[in-house]
Amino acid sequence: MKVFFTNIFIIVFKKTWPFWVGGSILAVLNILFFALTQRPWKITTGFTYWGAWIFQGFGGRPNNWSYFQGEQKMVALEQWFYSNDLSILNFGVILGALISVLLSGQFKIKRIKNFKQAAFALVGGIIMGYGTRISFGCNIGAFFSSVPSLSFSGYVYGFFVVIGAWLGTKILLKYLL
Amino acid sequence: MANVKIDCMYEACPIPLLKLARELKKLEQGDVVVVETDHSCAILNITEWAEKEKFDYWIDETNQGEWDIHVRKTRLK
Repeated sequence: MKVFFTNIFIIVFKKTWPFWVGGSILAVLNILFFALTQRPWKITTGFTYWGAWIFQGFGGRPNNWSYFQGEQKMVALEQWFYSNDLSILNFGVILGALISVLLSGQFKIKRIKNFKQAAFALVGGIIMGYGTRISFGCNIGAFFSSVPSLSFSGYVYGFFVVIGAWLGTKILLKYLL
Repeated sequence: MANVKIDCMYEACPIPLLKLARELKKLEQGDVVVVETDHSCAILNITEWAEKEKFDYWIDETNQGEWDIHVRKTRLK
């Protein structure tokens, strides 16, 4: 009996799940999220609010920026890390990832290898953040939430993500290896 | 027979696998490449790749969460 439960634990928490299992769970959760909140799941919009709140904390006025015009974003600017739903959701994603990595016994604080790695990570992060704002979302908001709503923009986004990933692989092979 | 060590500590996927493949290409049959990594997903994709290529491999856990992945350039039957 103990062996049985150990095996279940290893299959559920230690081994990687097949893609179809992860995909199905994500699909069900996406439907639940949309049904409960009446809005699609987004990730980077929450991060944008984090940045805006911090900027406001230093006396900045992002409420004058054209990006934040519109009722929903104006309301979000008045909220805070624990009162905005997208922000709370992002904390949930990070917490969930932490729990899963702890359960699989793979938690480790990783060091930075060298200056090149750090520079690439920083530049990559900035390009990603900038890209999500001018394309109105990341692969969650602009693709994962867009395709099920039969929006054509999701497919356009997906097509260019593939091109971007192909280019990124070329850069990786040339400069990072 | 050569035994080449490549340092892939703190490097994320797919860099360990790409470095291993590049290194093995240069070597002779029977030579061994050791990948030092602290990235558990490197174990998954390297062993998957080695199995597909029919290369012999074995793994030592050198420290908590750090592994040496040995891959020998030999076609297994």
